Parts: sequence; C-alpha cells; structure tokens
Amino acid sequence: MSLCEAEKTFVLHGVEENFRLDGREREDYRPMELETDIVLHAFGSARLRLANTDVLVAVKIEIDVPFPERSKEGKLEFFVDCSANATPDFEGRGGEDLAVEIANTLSSAYRSKHAFDLTKLCILKGKKCWKVYVDILLLECGGNLFDAVSLAVKAALWNTQVPKVHGVNIDGNNIELNVSEELYDCDRLDVKNAPVMVTVCKIGEKCIVDPSVAEEQCSVGSIVVAVSGDKFSTVLQTGTGSLHPATLMESLKLGHRVAQRLDEALWATLRQIKPGQDVGFLK
Amino acid sequence: MPQKIQIRLASHRVSTSVAVNQRYPKIFTPGEVITSQNEFMRGHGTYEENSDLKASVAGVRQQVNNLISIRPLKSRYNGEVGDVVVGRITEVQQKRWKVATNSRLDSVLLLSSVNLPGGELRRRSAEDEHMMRQYLQEGDLISAEVQSVYSDGSLSLHTRSFKYGKLSQGVLVKVFPSLIKRSKTHFHNLPIGASVILGNNGFIWICPIINNSEDGASGFIQNLEEVVPRQDRETIGRIRNCILSLSQSKMMLYDTSILYAYEESLKYTVPELLVQEAMVDVAILTQQRLCMLEDT
Amino acid sequence: MPLDHKRINGPDETLPYSLFAKQSTPSWNQIFKELQKEGKRSDARGFLDHRKVFLKTGIVSQAKGSAYIELDNSKVIVSVFDPHEIPNRQDYSLKGEIYCEFKFAPFSCKKRRLHQKDNEENQYSAIMKQALESTVCRHEFPNFQVDIYALVLHNDGSCLSAAITAAGIALSHAGVPMYDIITSVTLGIQKDMILLDPNVLEQSLCSGPILDDTKNSDHGIVVISILNNHNQISQFYQSGMISLEKLNQTVELLQKACSDLVPLIQKCLVKHVIKTLKSSGEG
Repeated sequence: MSLCEAEKTFVLHGVEENFRLDGREREDYRPMELETDIVLHAFGSARLRLANTDVLVAVKIEIDVPFPERSKEGKLEFFVDCSANATPDFEGRGGEDLAVEIANTLSSAYRSKHAFDLTKLCILKGKKCWKVYVDILLLECGGNLFDAVSLAVKAALWNTQVPKVHGVNIDGNNIELNVSEELYDCDRLDVKNAPVMVTVCKIGEKCIVDPSVAEEQCSVGSIVVAVSGDKFSTVLQTGTGSLHPATLMESLKLGHRVAQRLDEALWATLRQIKPGQDVGFLK
Repeated sequence: MPQKIQIRLASHRVSTSVAVNQRYPKIFTPGEVITSQNEFMRGHGTYEENSDLKASVAGVRQQVNNLISIRPLKSRYNGEVGDVVVGRITEVQQKRWKVATNSRLDSVLLLSSVNLPGGELRRRSAEDEHMMRQYLQEGDLISAEVQSVYSDGSLSLHTRSFKYGKLSQGVLVKVFPSLIKRSKTHFHNLPIGASVILGNNGFIWICPIINNSEDGASGFIQNLEEVVPRQDRETIGRIRNCILSLSQSKMMLYDTSILYAYEESLKYTVPELLVQEAMVDVAILTQQRLCMLEDT
Repeated sequence: MPLDHKRINGPDETLPYSLFAKQSTPSWNQIFKELQKEGKRSDARGFLDHRKVFLKTGIVSQAKGSAYIELDNSKVIVSVFDPHEIPNRQDYSLKGEIYCEFKFAPFSCKKRRLHQKDNEENQYSAIMKQALESTVCRHEFPNFQVDIYALVLHNDGSCLSAAITAAGIALSHAGVPMYDIITSVTLGIQKDMILLDPNVLEQSLCSGPILDDTKNSDHGIVVISILNNHNQISQFYQSGMISLEKLNQTVELLQKACSDLVPLIQKCLVKHVIKTLKSSGEG
C-alpha cells in the first residue's frame, strides 16, 4: 500500500530532523531477535526477526567434487526462497527477481578468500570437497531484507557443524571417506570475517540505515554494502534513482561504520548462546 | 549518539501478557455446540445444524436476550453505522472513491457524501466528477464516518462534517479493531500536544494538534510545506510507540489508557520504547493505574 | 540457482583442455610481479590508461537502435527494441519499464558458456538495468517496456562496462528519450596496483586469487556508470575486498575515466546523424 504525499513529507522531515517515525536516529536499528539451531535436519540454522522481517536460514552440507579450475576449494551456494507466506506478491514467480538479487549479492560478498575461506572445505584435492548449501527462507517481509538475511546467514554458518573426516582411503579410483560417527565430533566453520550487509537508504538529502517499509517507499535510491572485517566485500546500488558522487562516498562511510557496530552486536549475541539450549521457533 | 544495536536471543524473550486475573472465559472453537436448545436466535459467528447451534469461528460467546453470537478473537473490521474510521483511498471511480478500511470489502465514499469546497449546499456538477482526483487521489488517507452498511457488508462512508476529511502530516498505526474501545468521541486533542483519531477499524492516526476551522475547503488541503517542529514530532513518536506497547499486550485503547501509557513511558527515551522489556513495563504500569482508577 | 535440465545444453561435464596442460601458465604471483616490475601492461598501456575504443551504430538493421563496441578484444553488440506494452500486466505503471538481457555468446570465453542464462549473466542483467533506469526518461512512455539485449562476442574483460556504454548509444540511436549520455568504466585492484579497464587476465587477477605474503591487502573489481552532465552515479558495483580509503580513491579515478569517454560517444552519435542526413540527401 503506497503512502500519500503528506505522510511521505512527514517521514522526510523526520529524517532531516534526525528523529524518525518511531523515534530512532538515522543510524539506529530496530531491536532484533535471534535463535540458532532450530532446524533438526540441517547442519546449522538460524532465525532472525527484525521488526516484521522474519528470515529462516538452514545450512546443509554434502559431499561433492571440486571445480577442476579450483581444485583446492570447497563450494558454497546460496539459495533464497521468497515464500508466498511473506506477502501474496511473491506468489508464483513474483519474488524471483528479489530472490536472485539477494542470492547473487550474498555469493558476491562471500567470494573473497578474506571473507570466507573455501579451502577449509576441501577434503581431498581435486577429488572430494564439502559443498555448503545455504537455504534462506523469507517468512515475512517488513523492510530491510538484505541486512536481516546477512545476519541470519552469518549466524547459521557460525552454528554449522561440519563432520570430521578422520582419514581418506584411496584404492585406485575408489575413494573412501572415514567420517567420524560421533555426533558431537564436529568442526566449526570460521566465520570471523563473514560479511555483514547494511542497506543505506537515501531519503531527501540524508542517509539512514534499517529503513522500515514506509521509509523504503520514500527513498530515492539505496546502497547495499557488505563489510567483512574493516573492508568492503561488495557494494551494490539498488532502487531506481541515481546518486551524486558525494552522496555515494557519504553512504559508503556510513555503511562502513554501521556494519562494524552491527557485527559487534551480532558477536555479542552469539557468544551468549549456550549449547544445547532448547528454544522452539514456534514457542 | 546512535543507540546500541539490540540483538536479543529468543530464549530471553519476555512475556507480553499483563492479565491481572488468570481467569479466561470459555473459548468456543468452530463446530463446537454452543447450545442445543432452539429458543435462541442465531447471531454472527454461528450456524445451525440438526437443531444445534454451533460456532463457526473461534472466540467468546456473547448473548443479548435471545441472540447468541460468537465474537472472534481476531477479525477484520465489521462496520456499524456511526463508526469513525480512518481509511486509505485505493481507487478513484465514477462518482465514488474506493477506500481500504481493514474490513472484508473495500468501503465506498460517494462523491455526493463529501463536502466540496464552496459550501455544503453547492450542486455537484460534471466538472466535480472530473476533479475527483484533485480532491482525493490514490494513497490519500481520510477520516470518515460510516453512513450505511450495504447488504453485502461493505460500508458507505461520508465526510459531511468539518472534522472529517483528508488527513495531512502524521503517522498511521494499525492495531486490531477489537482493541479500540467505543466511546463518545474518537477524536482526541490530547493535552500532551498531539491529536489522535482512534478509528473503529483499528487504524489510528496521530498528528500535530489540529486547529479546527469550520472552513469547508480545509478538508482537501494537505500542507506539505509546513515542517512539524521537533517537540511535536517527539510527542507523536512517543504516542505511536505507546500505542504499539498497549496493543502488543492486548490492552484496550482509548484516551485515558493512551495518556497513562504516555506518562508512564516518560522514564524511557522514545527509541527505547521499541525494546520489548520497556514496552511490557509501560503496559503493566498502565494496567495498574487503570485498575486503581476503577477501584476508586 | 538450479539449471533447467529439460533442455539439452550440449555436453554437460566438459573441461577446457588448458587445465591439463603442464603448468604452462605462469602462477598469479608471477603475473603480478611481472606487471609490477614492468610498470606497464601486456599491451604497453599504463596502469591508468583506458583501452582504445571503437564505436559503431546501426549494426543490427532490424532493431530500432543498436550499437557495437570494441575495447581492443572485448566485443559487444547491444540492440534496443521499440517500446511495447508490458505483457501480462494488470496494474498501470506510471513509468515505463526497462528490460535488460546480458548474454555471453557460447564461444566468447575460454570456457564454453551455456545457452541458459547463468547466475553471472543474471546479475549483470540486473546491474545493467539499474544503470539504465535512471538514464531513460521513463515517464515519457508510461506502461510501456523497452527491451535491451547485450551480446558479448568476445570477452576480454570489462564487458559489463562496455555493454552499458553501448546500451546508452543504442538507446539514443533508437530515439528513446534520455536525460544524459551514460558511460561506464571498470577498474581492478590487486594490492597497491590499480588497473583501469582490465582485460580478462587482469580481471581474474584482481577478483580471485590471493597472492603470497598478503595478509590483509585489497583486491577487487569496481564497476561504475555515470551520467556525466548531471554528475550522477546511476550504478555502482564492487566485489572483492577493498578498504574505504581505496574505494574513495577509485571512485575519483573512475569519474575521470568516465568523463573522458563522453566526447567519443558524442562524436559517434553526431557522425551517425550526419551520415543519415547525407544518405537521405542522396536518395
């Protein structure tokens, strides 16, 4: 449902005044809720709720053959599903463009070796590797999808347990993997530098983060930045408008600053998680 | 200074319930027999089968004399004549506007039931029909009163009073229609410096104090130049967050409850009111004050 | 994304022979060192020089507008088809839509590309659309759609930029109203080296591998599209791992490179008009 001019004006002036509709400042986030380890059949999972946006991420790991040109690396693949549960607009192929955009941005953000080291997923050079499937389900859309998805993905990868491989027996062309049978004998993935995405939305002359649905409607253009450590792993412009170079620089700076705060907040939360805690997603 | 980014764990979630006494009324589920005596009349949310009266929705039983109806816990808005509603124009048609009012069907605002600029008794000409989009266009918000209910349940609205009409700058909050308490007036100029329109349909409009002028034309003018001052903006933001706190804890919304919530919330900054603990705290304190009010 | 397996895509599991050649190709480290030592690139350009550009309009006679661009070995054809009504659409959109398709010809790269659009092509299509949306006066053809197809005949790096620049020319050749001339330039970073308009080898040097003795160095690709007279950035895309300062620096470099291309395009368009006038005068 589109807003009328007067409502947009109200939002716009609020952004200029640094006092948004719900009282937030331009750099403030809405409170979020996170839980991990909630999908039994997955190797790692997380659900993140940011206001009305709800994202469920599950990680599955399977054994695959590495790409011949990158024989020392495992594989990582993102798949986004815009469930029609989220909004009826996603029915049929409605959400496909958005899904592809999010998935492509994620794989671009995780591509650099500094962001996520795929060589750790290699089991036997050129023959066997782990393939990590990251399935992202959008359960509800309440604005600011990119940020929520990236946080949930990072939490799910953090939660992921890769079974230990004790040894490999090679007999001619046959390769036998000796995978640990112990349930808790697992490796964790290194997600220290996994990127966090921030959407910087330009409203009027100012830039804000974590736009609500109403604010997204008022925006003339936005920049999605994925920050890993203190560097950009992906920057992407979305929306229909164009930006002045000075605005671009400003939003890069803002995104960079906020992404680091966001990453810190996520780690602080992940550290609180105790293993074996029983939380129900439907509770 | 920006606020700290809050990511809480689901296991640290707080309960939003503020119920004082844990006594719940009996809740009927669809298909459940309400009564097998046939002296009762069939109301909303019920159906008759084999001379039994059964519920067709999940909810609580209400009885007026012989009429039994089941009021669902959550429903779309069922309009009644005289209700105040806030709605959004979805379509401009021949001689009428379609208005989304959170009811099952879109409501209708006829060109003949609005006060056009130039006095109440002005004749409506063909020109007015062409000008309709200039008065109200898609996306515009209006406040209106329910004039009549059509047989299919859709509502006919009117804005034939200076207090109704197009809404200007402000913010819309959506809550369940059942949380809006019916009262004599749904327009409140709160003493804290903001106006609130509590639409019976669950749409609540919060805006700076409206200075009512009985000028018929004011109903279609939006002031886009005016910048709402910071102080009003803070009040509006705080009221918005208070209403959401109350609605999260399923408390009735009316002027007193909103005012109390506002006063109780003053110990928090406005953005802090987005945090669940603060929201529940405000709701509980408001609940207590309302109980005290009842007791005295 | 899952591929469409119902259609026959030709042989599925094939590998380029070069993988089996015995270490004939130098390692990335060697290539990098070589570049650094020489101070100029394989085709004798400096690091910040753009390749020579060849432009031609009216290459596809049946399209409303078309353009051909050559950056040395990178060759791209772009054609634009008339605005036509948006198919299968119920609601009325006030602004016209742009549909972009970016495709690599099967023989354009070292490895054979499939006919099916892959993820990279999908992403490039989306970036192209983003770049062109703010260039075209979309309000002039409400409820209509303009189709733009880009086909890469030979990929020697910076193809996306070439396609966007050519699409701008093709659009003006087709007489679609536009706000400004759009130019696009790609840039690659590896360590401290900045390579403007990289070729395919340099592009993979910048995007993929991490060199030795680099703990925390920058690498990546930046693509920018600029409306020069308005000084507006209509599209920005970065991948890899780049620090904030470096990114600021590249934006400035790219701005200059983009504005350098403008006279070429103007000349090409004027030439086209003169040619048409002459031929109509003769006929």
